[in-house]
Amino acid sequence: MSSCPPYAPFFGFAGVASSMIFSTVGAAYGTSKAGIGIAGLGQFKPELIMKSLIPVVMSGIIAVYGLVVSVLIAGGLDPAQDYPLYSGFVHLGAGLACGLTGLAAGYAIGIVGDSCVRAYVRESKVFVAMVLILIFAEVLGLYGLIVALIMNSRASEARCS
Amino acid sequence: MGFLRLYYALGLPSFLVTVIALYLLFTGSGEAFNVGRFLEESSPYLWASTGIGLCIGLSVLGAGWGIFVTGASILGGGVRAPRIRTKNLISIIFCEVVAIYGVIMGIVYSSKLASIDESQLYTKSNYYTGYALFWGGLTVGVCNLLCGVSVGITGSTAALADAADPALFVKILIVEVFGSILGLFGLIVGLLVVGKAEEFKAAAVPAALGALPLLSH
Repeated sequence: MSSCPPYAPFFGFAGVASSMIFSTVGAAYGTSKAGIGIAGLGQFKPELIMKSLIPVVMSGIIAVYGLVVSVLIAGGLDPAQDYPLYSGFVHLGAGLACGLTGLAAGYAIGIVGDSCVRAYVRESKVFVAMVLILIFAEVLGLYGLIVALIMNSRASEARCS
Repeated sequence: MGFLRLYYALGLPSFLVTVIALYLLFTGSGEAFNVGRFLEESSPYLWASTGIGLCIGLSVLGAGWGIFVTGASILGGGVRAPRIRTKNLISIIFCEVVAIYGVIMGIVYSSKLASIDESQLYTKSNYYTGYALFWGGLTVGVCNLLCGVSVGITGSTAALADAADPALFVKILIVEVFGSILGLFGLIVGLLVVGKAEEFKAAAVPAALGALPLLSH
């Protein structure tokens, strides 16, 4: 069996897809859930809406992490060049790393954002604590991005035998 | 309580898969489970066509889902506050745009399809194109599905907030814009993935039927 079988790009593309799809799940959940809380806050204190958009922006950043990793992995795939099965699996791992961490981070940002903006209506001192908690949730996605970037940089080490 | 249903739903298929896998293993035909052979023997047309179908199908599913969620809220809120009817149609348009993304990508992907005789179909470039179209189509479809649902939920929220206080609509629209960029990201990834793939081409030297996958071992 050769180390560059023709089905190796299947796994590479699976990495591209999983990075984008799973981070989009997280980002969509975060955006919608936090958006519902923000609309609830807007009924009572409309002047606080702009500051409460932070969870929504952070969910968008999670989607951008997934996009960056997808673009990087897709840049390493080329039909004209040799593509070892090793690279396929490394790309799949990188995509799963970024995607699944983005999914977790997006869920956390959504639930935290929703409950914190509802608390912000009643007590404005909650704002700093909310931002701190959101940062910790966002950083989960960042860890996945870092690991995905490290794996992706190692993906072109193998050669066809 | 809802998780029990999930366990039941996942339990039977997992049990069946385990039984079949152990049967193959203990009767000495464990090599029958060969992912590489499956990927080499399945036609690139399978992957390409499934990808295109999923691309448009899931995108339209997302758009429709978003439209019904938003539409129900606009119509319900419009009973007590008729002024919200025209302004909130913009949320419906945001959902519709997601379906348009699916159509555009479906058309772009379909241009890669070409009719090749089966003895000349199984080349490395055609395998690449088939896989690219499948995963690209799935990415575009699922991202548009999620975007459509997210924009729908947010649009419904915006309609009801608008019914309560007209000044809120523009601010909740910002959240909706953040939701709609997700579909755009899916479109970008879909285009990148397929950008380098060539359309289906006949092999330079026709191989005997099914011989080419075996030659690479």
